[in-house]
Amino acid sequence: MTMNFPILSKRVLLVPALLLTAMTLSCRKDKTEIPTGLPIPPDPTGVSVDLTQVPYPKLSDYRFFEGDMKDQNPAEGVLPYEPITQLFTDYALKKRFVWMPNGTKANYVSDTEILDLPVGSAIIKTFYYDNMLPENATRILETRIMIRKSTGWIFAEYEWNDEQTEAYLNMDGVNKSISWVQNGTPMSTNYRLPSDTECMICHKFNASPIPIGIKPQHLNKSLQYADGEMNQLQKWVSVGYLNGPLPSNILTVVDYKDESKSLRDRVRSYLDMNCAHCHQENSHCDYRPMRLAFSETELSLNLGICVDPEEFIDASLVSIIVPGNTSKSMMHFRLGSTEESNRMPLLGRTVVHQEGLALLTAFIQSLTNCD
Amino acid sequence: MKKILYSALFSIFGVTTIIAQSTCATAIEISAGTYSFAQIQGNDVPLPVCSTGGTGATAGQWYKYTATASYEVTVTTNFPLINGNTDNRVQVYTGTCGSLSCIAGDDDSGTGVLCVVTFNVVQNTDYYIAFDNRWSSNGFTFELIENVPPPTPDVVLVAQSFPNILGQYKIAIADMNGDYLDDIVSVSSTTVHILYQQTDGTFEQEAITTTSAQFLPTWSMAIGDYNKDGFNDLMYGSGQGVSFFRSNSDGTAYTHWAAPNYVFSQRTNFVDINNDGNLDAFACHDVAPNVYYINDGDNNLSFNQGGFGDHSTGGHYATIWFDYDNDGDLDVFISKCSGGGQGLAARFNEMHRNNGDGTYSNVSTAANMNHGNQTWSSAVNDFDNDGFMDVIVGVSSFSHGGHLYMHNNGDGTFTDIATGSGWDTYNGTSIEYVSYDFNNDGWADVFTNGRIFLNNGNNTFTVQTVAPNVGAVGDVNNDGFLDIQNGTTIYFNQPNGNNWVKLNLKGIQSNSNGIGARVEIYGAWGKQIRDVQSGIGFRHMGTLNPHFGLGLATEIDSIIVRWPSGEVDMICNAEINTTIYIEEGSGLVPIAAFSASATEVNSGEVVAFTDASTLCPNAWSWNVQPATGWVYTNGTTANSENPEIQFNNYGLYTITLIASNQNGQSVENPTAQVMVNSGVGLDAVLSSAIKIYPNPTSGELNIEFAGNLDNARLSVVSTIGAEVLNFAVVPNSIDVHLLSNGTYFLVIMLPNGEKHTTLFVKK
Repeated sequence: MTMNFPILSKRVLLVPALLLTAMTLSCRKDKTEIPTGLPIPPDPTGVSVDLTQVPYPKLSDYRFFEGDMKDQNPAEGVLPYEPITQLFTDYALKKRFVWMPNGTKANYVSDTEILDLPVGSAIIKTFYYDNMLPENATRILETRIMIRKSTGWIFAEYEWNDEQTEAYLNMDGVNKSISWVQNGTPMSTNYRLPSDTECMICHKFNASPIPIGIKPQHLNKSLQYADGEMNQLQKWVSVGYLNGPLPSNILTVVDYKDESKSLRDRVRSYLDMNCAHCHQENSHCDYRPMRLAFSETELSLNLGICVDPEEFIDASLVSIIVPGNTSKSMMHFRLGSTEESNRMPLLGRTVVHQEGLALLTAFIQSLTNCD
Repeated sequence: MKKILYSALFSIFGVTTIIAQSTCATAIEISAGTYSFAQIQGNDVPLPVCSTGGTGATAGQWYKYTATASYEVTVTTNFPLINGNTDNRVQVYTGTCGSLSCIAGDDDSGTGVLCVVTFNVVQNTDYYIAFDNRWSSNGFTFELIENVPPPTPDVVLVAQSFPNILGQYKIAIADMNGDYLDDIVSVSSTTVHILYQQTDGTFEQEAITTTSAQFLPTWSMAIGDYNKDGFNDLMYGSGQGVSFFRSNSDGTAYTHWAAPNYVFSQRTNFVDINNDGNLDAFACHDVAPNVYYINDGDNNLSFNQGGFGDHSTGGHYATIWFDYDNDGDLDVFISKCSGGGQGLAARFNEMHRNNGDGTYSNVSTAANMNHGNQTWSSAVNDFDNDGFMDVIVGVSSFSHGGHLYMHNNGDGTFTDIATGSGWDTYNGTSIEYVSYDFNNDGWADVFTNGRIFLNNGNNTFTVQTVAPNVGAVGDVNNDGFLDIQNGTTIYFNQPNGNNWVKLNLKGIQSNSNGIGARVEIYGAWGKQIRDVQSGIGFRHMGTLNPHFGLGLATEIDSIIVRWPSGEVDMICNAEINTTIYIEEGSGLVPIAAFSASATEVNSGEVVAFTDASTLCPNAWSWNVQPATGWVYTNGTTANSENPEIQFNNYGLYTITLIASNQNGQSVENPTAQVMVNSGVGLDAVLSSAIKIYPNPTSGELNIEFAGNLDNARLSVVSTIGAEVLNFAVVPNSIDVHLLSNGTYFLVIMLPNGEKHTTLFVKK
């Protein structure tokens, strides 16, 4: 998927002080467009993330987008990004953006940990389908925002209206019956917009809310920006969103769809993005014997190869992964199940990700021993 | 094509290597020993498939074994050093080629993907042992071992397939039509499938169509009569919320209701949380504080959150409601599990004590029930029959400690006594731990992970493996032995000679299932207790009928039901091997009754009174009016169960019995009357109408009476009331020389009842 968004480089522009003042004034002229009660946005880009007011009642209140909001054209300072391997969410398509307050930057922590974003930052993720039935058209379902406050990250979930003109805050969770065409085949499901409690199930580390995808290991690839292709991490540094310099050699996942990469690395990357938020050391489900973060799966034992499952489902499922035998492998069973108490991941998936399952199948079939 | 090459060529371990183009008809005859072969290549595919793994094999390797005696035989490929990862599978048959029946089969019971199968054989019977190439055609080494058959296990489960158990979720057993017989309940979004158990052991099948369940029982199901109409209702716990299906007035249809609130349900229960007589509902929340639904008594449930396990990130997997402190109200234990750095703080189990006033207090620490072992459910019962409920905290993961056997000390605290109990050395895990008495020996067992932990009665357990890994538990053939249903298979628990009793409870003031009632049974064993629960273990729903094994005991002294309302009912001298119906309020204090051996006697005769009170009297108080003229005899007293009374004085006596037990005394007290036809009534007064002389006398006593003596009688009565002489006609003179020396009454009774008495002295 190529992204072709206009790019905006507030920080690379050398803005004369007077001009800056003028911009600020011009923003003030827009006051009539600002929802009543909201303070004047402090950021010169026009984006508004007032930590005393968020989450706003409407997505448009943030002014993350220019023009028709459903076109998702990012406003100045709103930078698109894309992880190398992406989480499967019932085949929903996604657009992701990051925004930070003027003059603030993220810090690199490690290859495998999320970038430390400054207070006031927002991460924006819009979920949509092309070929949504009955119109066979693109429709946006939801936009999820995580905002970094001084006390930590918060969730803000916006449900798009049928007219695709606005999205409204809904923190209670809601189901939407949808149908779409996937690779020429009609599919349907009861799509879940999560409540904040559900957001927390995956977006959690040490019992606190965190983002997942903004790790150097996931971002270390080139992306097509409006002004040209560039490595995402370098781009973040260049626009002033990330303190450099970064390590020259970053442990990086592969694109699970990239058949030029090894099966094992593709599986490890897939499992990292889809499973490791629970199944890694110090995570929600680390009482189970898998460790599925990319940095942990060099070890076959951590992948569950020849490891007995702790929860019985069927006598035929003898190990988490049985080399050469998918029908005896618990991981294969769970990734292929849509039954709520059997399927994995537990949330965010109601249909089988056939491409992911095919990858796991190929990997298991390629294994000949427990090593 | 008969082309079998026996090549006992070489052998490291005395292994016979056989190369064969194998079919059933040409199966190689083997006896106990070790064998190997190079390739599975015979085109006679072993069918039917007796093991897991399904069809798909294209070749087989066949052997024939004829039992020389009745053995328990094991066929094993479990030699990892020799066979490595060779994924083999075995089927065992009897019958004739082309018409084979499964005896046993196995795919992966050995290390990794190797197989081990054990089965019993009958002398002089042929068995076919066939390996197939479902997973691999590579050859391997196997051994056939003959063992002396082990003693019959305590619990014998006989599997029977019930393909008509339909629906997506086959996880519940409970009575659904009000006849108290356990039915099999399996559901889908728009259907409640019920196999109604019939008295003749068959099932009657119904599929009741409903509106769509907003939430399905993906994680658990509970059953209870929350609308209190005598027909049970359903509760579905899903990962996004909770649905309820409420019965109509005759249990033939159900009405759906769901609260909109997001709940990542785990264990669900029906329980009367506020003890108002209406069942409320509870759902463990995986990722947030627990939730519950309070019943207003008018079919309306209202959503509540908080107060029973409030960790913000949840970790709540199962609640089990029982009275740990024997104060007559329901407390709750929460099995918890959580990983992840600071998330580990959510893993500590919680005990909440019912304060009896509608509030609950978290007593986890004080009770020593706050362990952080990762558990998804815990088994509760009085495992040592000391009258206090104990808890086996079974772990789902060994990451933070193993199984705990928390013994209830009876003082509000628990102590782990797992060491030496069998739980300390058990290395299996499960999300399901439930307790019932499966072998009816009077000691509660635990079912988990394809094993029954048989309670030895001394705080140790013996593990018996059983076919079902988990399942719903109930008595689906009403034989007093609890059966297990897993999917479309019912495992019928075979009677083993032990005795039992089951109860059918009907709450009136309390909830109609009697959920939360404490049931006690007393007998030669001492005391056994159960708490009536809806929703134990993690996922399944089991019978609501309290069940007790009695071992070889043949008498039950009494059964006491302590209802949530505070009402107490008692049954005594209950029959065994039957089901007893107890309605709330039907009996508590004794109903007094007795019989008398005679109702009309002469002076000096003894009347035996026999108690016939019901409802467990243990104290008696007899009252006789008038208060004199009689005496308890033969060592009995006014507090004897069966007193004997000697009546001496003429008159009509009224006898009353008050019977009592620990709950109080009988309310309506029966009476009997005894007429004493002779002897002096103590109401007689000395009469001046009689003249006697000489007085004192040593022999003759002359009598004069100033009145008409027609039809009058004469008695001589000792001072203790005993009649010593009796004359139907009053003579002018009597001879008393045979009487002992002392004072006597001389009584003349006139036909009109009038009595005249005087005293004389014999010397």
